[in-house]
Amino acid sequence: MPDFDKLRALAKETISRDDIKYLIGWRQGTYGYRTSPHFVRIPEDADQLIFSPLCSSNLATYLALAEKRPVPRGSQPDTRKVAILVKGCDSRAVVQQLVEQGIKREAVYVIGCPCEGVVDLRKLEEKYPHTLDRVGARWENGNVSLDLPSGNAVFPREEIVAGKCLTCRYPNPVIADVTLGENVEVSGSTAFEDINRFEVKSAQERWTFWRDKFNSCIRCYACRNVCPMCYCAECILDKQNPAWIQRSVNISENTAFQLARAFHLAGRCIECGECERVCPVEIPLSYLNRKLVKEVTEQFAFTPGVDPEAKPLLVGYRPNDKGDFIL
Amino acid sequence: MKLNKDKLADFLAAIPGKTIFGPQLCGETLKFTAITKAGDLCLTANNTNVPPKSVVFPQTETMLRFEQWATDIKTAEPAGEIVLFGIKPCDARAMLIVDNVFSWGVEDPYYLTRRTNSTLVGLACLDPCVNCFCTSMGGGPTSTDGLDLLLTDLGNSYLLEVLTGKGEVLCQAAGKLLCEASGADKDAAKLLQEKAAVQIRRQIDPSGVQARLPALWESPVWEKISASCLGCGICTYLCPTCHCFDMQDETEGVESRRCRTWDSCMFSEYTLHASGHNPRPTRRERTRNRINHKFSYFVDKFKVIACVGCGRCINHCPVNIDILDILSKVGEDVL
Amino acid sequence: MNTHPYIPNFATVQDTWYETYGDRCIKTFKVGFDDEEVRDSWTHLPGQCAMIGVLGTGESMISISCSPTEGKFLRFSVMRAGKVTKALHELEAGDKMTVRGPYGNNFPIDEWKGKNIITIGGGIGQAPLRPVIEYVRAKKSEYGELTVVYGARTSADLCFKGEFGELARIENTCYHLSVDVKEEGWPHYVGFVPALLMEVNPSPENTIAITCGPPIMINFVLQNLKKLNFPDDQIYTTLENRMKCGIGKCGRCNAGNLYVCKDGPVFSYATLKNVPEAFA
Repeated sequence: MPDFDKLRALAKETISRDDIKYLIGWRQGTYGYRTSPHFVRIPEDADQLIFSPLCSSNLATYLALAEKRPVPRGSQPDTRKVAILVKGCDSRAVVQQLVEQGIKREAVYVIGCPCEGVVDLRKLEEKYPHTLDRVGARWENGNVSLDLPSGNAVFPREEIVAGKCLTCRYPNPVIADVTLGENVEVSGSTAFEDINRFEVKSAQERWTFWRDKFNSCIRCYACRNVCPMCYCAECILDKQNPAWIQRSVNISENTAFQLARAFHLAGRCIECGECERVCPVEIPLSYLNRKLVKEVTEQFAFTPGVDPEAKPLLVGYRPNDKGDFIL
Repeated sequence: MKLNKDKLADFLAAIPGKTIFGPQLCGETLKFTAITKAGDLCLTANNTNVPPKSVVFPQTETMLRFEQWATDIKTAEPAGEIVLFGIKPCDARAMLIVDNVFSWGVEDPYYLTRRTNSTLVGLACLDPCVNCFCTSMGGGPTSTDGLDLLLTDLGNSYLLEVLTGKGEVLCQAAGKLLCEASGADKDAAKLLQEKAAVQIRRQIDPSGVQARLPALWESPVWEKISASCLGCGICTYLCPTCHCFDMQDETEGVESRRCRTWDSCMFSEYTLHASGHNPRPTRRERTRNRINHKFSYFVDKFKVIACVGCGRCINHCPVNIDILDILSKVGEDVL
Repeated sequence: MNTHPYIPNFATVQDTWYETYGDRCIKTFKVGFDDEEVRDSWTHLPGQCAMIGVLGTGESMISISCSPTEGKFLRFSVMRAGKVTKALHELEAGDKMTVRGPYGNNFPIDEWKGKNIITIGGGIGQAPLRPVIEYVRAKKSEYGELTVVYGARTSADLCFKGEFGELARIENTCYHLSVDVKEEGWPHYVGFVPALLMEVNPSPENTIAITCGPPIMINFVLQNLKKLNFPDDQIYTTLENRMKCGIGKCGRCNAGNLYVCKDGPVFSYATLKNVPEAFA
């Protein structure tokens, strides 16, 4: 893990370059364990940058989310690069966006941050509720060390990091113009034990599970908006004419929404787990997405977001593709 | 008056002819749903994820029903009597605030019928959340605004404070289930309530905010705040005072319904004209409107801030956009 | 007759015609309420709107483009743009639409008696101005001069084309038309509406100016009216924003602290100049 001084110095150097528009990183949040995306536009902004096990946001989302204001008459569009800090999973989003030509390689300057796993805030809140004072965190010899108001506490990584980090196979950025700190050991497995356990349940059980979850959905679309791969200029969810998915919040429309999103991410989801993290009603969306990841892996031996030269899965055809799922 | 906790089930059963809604854990989500037995209630937890506005202003409601080509329009059945049991004082205050919107000018029959038919049984908030700031917004963890009855958890029993005739009706129905509260009970409740008020650590003085907002209209602060905004609906959907809705006709077969659903000023479609023109084209304008609406426009119209300090928008914002942080930036006047 | 604010009344389309053609064509509907009681009790004044719609598709806020002086019917001129307006365009004489309202405030037209009135419109923005023109026309002796300034991109994009010739025959009334680019055989002004306004050069003396059109046009018209020394309280405009309920509940039509559906749509510039979002 890089120390903050090194990170901030690099950010200052980067933002001072003529070809960089702004830099997106993380800063300490307004309270407790929270961190927040941080936009560095002038060198002084870099003084707030941090990188710690609390930095869960996938900043690659902001590459597509940037709003393009009309260019004033007589001036040139700003074509400078956006510099972005990425963890391993975040870097896969950058690659997948490149593969899909959502962004151009020359439009981004990628600063890689090898990552030993980010903390699952829900686990932390359970252990230490009502924490208002700001908490610092570091990786330390395979553990996560937290500076809590009550003193320092060290947790084994397995106990405190998000589920996605336990299965992560890409903790080191797969694309980077510059890397901060040393690469970390890859420990995640390619097995889909969680999905396998779920798949053996009866259809009735699985439907009951999802029915209850989808019933809770309030259609705030945080899962879509936070997703670095959900960057369509016009989303079918917002279309009212025709309304593919109606605005009514009920089990039928909610299911249609969730399934449409899951399928649109087939062969594209890079397992950053942001959708699950942000869901205000705690729908375990990674189950849905990892089921499709599993299918894509088994059927097509494809992993999205690792090879910038790859073709998107669904635009390619190989004669030896399996077809045994076709009815 | 006092109600022993072992009599809670009987107390609820004694309520005549009213549907009882209370905080219930649905999966991982705490929200107000109709309960059939006392055991369904989850009264010890913090604020519900989804505010109880969902009971009086459902996320989706059918306003009208009609058949294709028919000229016969049916309205929804009028809502029956309901009890919101265990509502937090902040959420009850929020209902008073939203009442303004649905009753100014033309009255909204759906919302107002439900409000008229609802009895609010509050539960003093003895263990406020980390981001609660109700005391800064004119409320408090034991505020009685909008409540008919206030319960304070004394451990084995609830102290009951009757606030209105509707509250009285419930107590009369309970009859002998209630017993007289002793002076010691009242002292204990007072102590707990005072302790709760002290536990609220996040504070802000909103008094100058409205006056400062106009001068900040073109301030870069809005661009800064909204830079990380994802444009999702969490802050507005989970806000107990946000009340915007969309109306859509939905058809299945030959039957249609005109529905209203919650809508959010943070969505780009919210203000999008059919012509393609959008008066609030980016998240900067939308964020600015959200803050101005709560702390300026609403105050102009209804003389009250449209925020009760429940902290939900702070708790649930995926990127830590913190309304208190915004207000302090507005207050600093330095941006 | 229903008093439920969300239950619309049925009205039968009596006549329709196209004002303009093309992708975003404008069609005018002349409609009458089916229920006699509604027909008799309905009152509106120039500037007010109504929620009109098609059951199963939805409703849209449209300005009433006729004056109550014209008779016991309503007129709406609708541009084909979104879901609801597309469905409305399918309607022909004999079909039914739904109408609820009238909504919003009106031009304080009765307060303007004895004054000169100039309307400055652009494109579909002429629809809310037409009732003012018709109202003043019907009570011409009570008003001073009436000047109509109206323009569109091309002559084919002008609404109410057939009605201007008549205006010329009325005492103390004149009209000035414009198109943005030169056309074969076009006898009127070529250029933008704000420029035409400067050509017309109206005196602010005892005169009310009303403008409606695309936001960019309104902006320049306001600037030019200021150049012509019109005081803020003699300038009126009518705003439009996306609306759903029409009665100040659904939230979306606000411009600053004003709800366009209830506080508006008619505002004096004296009010609007302090509303930062008014011309967004």
